[in-house]
Amino acid sequence: MSSEAYEILALLMRYVFVIIGLIIVWRSFRWLRRDARSYQKEMRSLPDAGLIGEIVNLTTGQAQPLPHEGLIGASRECDIRLKGAGIARTHARFEFEEGKGLRIIPIRQNRVLLSGVQVRSQGYALHGTQLQIGDALLRVRLFAGLKVPYPAAYPEPDGILDSGAYLESWTGGEEGAGELPAYYLPQENQEEDFVPYETGTVPPGAPIEDYEGHYTEDGQMTWQYAYSLDELRSAMDQKQWQQMQPEDTAPDEAEGLPYRSPLPRRRRRERRE
Amino acid sequence: MSEKSLKRARLEPGRAMLLAVMAFFFLGFFLLAMKDGKWESFALSLIVPAIIFVGTAGISRLFPSDRLLLSLTNFLCALGVLVLYRLSPQRGLAQAFNYGVGVGCMILCTFLVRYIAHWKWLTGLMMLGSMGLLSLPLLIGSETNGAKNWISIAGYSMQPSEIVKLALLLCVAYLLSQRKTVWTVLFSGACLMLLMLQKDLGTALLYFCVVFVMLYAATGSLPLVIAGVIGGAGAAWAGYTLFAHVKRRVAIWLNPWADMSGAGYQIVQSLIAIVNGSFWGVGLGLGNASVIPEYYNDFIFSVILHEFGMVFGLIVLCMYLFIIIRGVMIAQRSRTVFHSLLAIGCSALIALQTFVIIGGNIKLIPLTGVTLPFISYGGTSMVASLCVIGLLQGVASRNAAGVTADRELAMYGGEQP
Repeated sequence: MSSEAYEILALLMRYVFVIIGLIIVWRSFRWLRRDARSYQKEMRSLPDAGLIGEIVNLTTGQAQPLPHEGLIGASRECDIRLKGAGIARTHARFEFEEGKGLRIIPIRQNRVLLSGVQVRSQGYALHGTQLQIGDALLRVRLFAGLKVPYPAAYPEPDGILDSGAYLESWTGGEEGAGELPAYYLPQENQEEDFVPYETGTVPPGAPIEDYEGHYTEDGQMTWQYAYSLDELRSAMDQKQWQQMQPEDTAPDEAEGLPYRSPLPRRRRRERRE
Repeated sequence: MSEKSLKRARLEPGRAMLLAVMAFFFLGFFLLAMKDGKWESFALSLIVPAIIFVGTAGISRLFPSDRLLLSLTNFLCALGVLVLYRLSPQRGLAQAFNYGVGVGCMILCTFLVRYIAHWKWLTGLMMLGSMGLLSLPLLIGSETNGAKNWISIAGYSMQPSEIVKLALLLCVAYLLSQRKTVWTVLFSGACLMLLMLQKDLGTALLYFCVVFVMLYAATGSLPLVIAGVIGGAGAAWAGYTLFAHVKRRVAIWLNPWADMSGAGYQIVQSLIAIVNGSFWGVGLGLGNASVIPEYYNDFIFSVILHEFGMVFGLIVLCMYLFIIIRGVMIAQRSRTVFHSLLAIGCSALIALQTFVIIGGNIKLIPLTGVTLPFISYGGTSMVASLCVIGLLQGVASRNAAGVTADRELAMYGGEQP
């Protein structure tokens, strides 16, 4: 091609390059905007996105959403913010590990009790595990469907919380299954996922000493202390559960115990103060 | 709706943009082929769009990836190849090879971030490796433009600080996610000290700013910001008083016309080339930007402004801006602190590097010897820049997996049966 013809062509192509460049920039801008909107829309439809459950403060009854990882403490920067004596500004770190549970790592040797046992370097919490941080008593509740180990029976140490006593009395401890207290029994024709009581007063017939210290000043009992059948089932090992089943239960049904929490998926994206 | 508009609606944004990017480079290389009539130019007019296609559509088939980021990155990389090939065909072909290698490394980095869950031991190894690599130029390095930051092994030259950049991002993100601020400061301080010993102040400035941004993102501490600003200002003053070449560069920046045929020649030629290019440029293949010293490296943005014009220069800046915005969006969406900090670090690195070198080209700030990401000539630089995008892609890929898991958890109570 002659140099004059090339010059004309190159001069014309300058505008073509700019036009294509503008098309790319415009498309990118629209793409960014649309993607941001569609992501926001998707997040609105998935209120629990990025969360793995919640941490319930057993003293106040308040629940806080539990992200994959973060900090527990009194400071504003903490993901789980607690108030009370013995709670450091940044007390402990936590991170969820698939297949293992929620790893709790105390910061600067702060005192953290995991089911009554002091955590030295790190410890794993599962669904239902109780945490004690300073004065605050907490319970970890993980969403159903997460890949975490099947939880063992809730080990509730003496002097911390005696809700384990319910299980002991119900399952008969190590000796075998006991009889279910009347107030745990589901009513006839009741749905399987029925949660006996979410909030309410101490149920009739329940031994009041079992609830000592667990109901609020106005006589209301927080729902965290009540166990559904599913929760109780998940708290026992499979052998104990099979012993509890009527004889005509199909073995595969009894063995294939799904680990499902009756915890409702709530919209609890509480803004931090 | 007519059939035509239906067809248009069906053409999703990603595909339409990919077509536009491929068309740009087909036309660019074809135009150069019309000028020189060489078979390499005709071949490149097909090979470069093919690499772009593989680097965008192919990768997004391998794993969920951010196609916008891929398209923009590929555009900038291919633009570098086009401009270099037009001025120096040998360098252009070498850059095309670097681009291909860089795409491979980008995929590797994406896989690393996507599949590695535990970074503890790797971080330790990377920290030791970084110290070793940064010490090498002091032992066996050669001095270029006042800085002793290049090494040559078996005939291949490389700049270790470009590779260490990636390790710095990963290590600092991990250490900060574990709240090990002291270790972060010690490691980044050691890296900065080694860079100062090499007199590679541009890279040192970049490292400092990136670590500073990541520290602030992790802690949000105001005293830290003040300490960082004071420390940075102190280091800049120390650099100015201790190193003669820094003083010279500042003097050139303040008045390049005082010695326009000597020390200020580079910047003066760059400014003349930009002005000659004006709004629309002189046309691809018609300019004489090769009179600028280091046109293929430090001053490649001036070459782009000269041949394609200022309007196109703004378009290129917009693309960098979109890459940075996208990086920040990826950081916001990530589920863990480590990945969030990593994405922030990657975005900050690209943003700062682009600002420092483009600012130097247009005489906004004193010139430093850092490369323009994705465009400047250099194998290490190209591979490192694409690896940074690979890290971002890895985080984006994990985010996509997280959203899928959330959706399954919400709909089926776990993995989809």
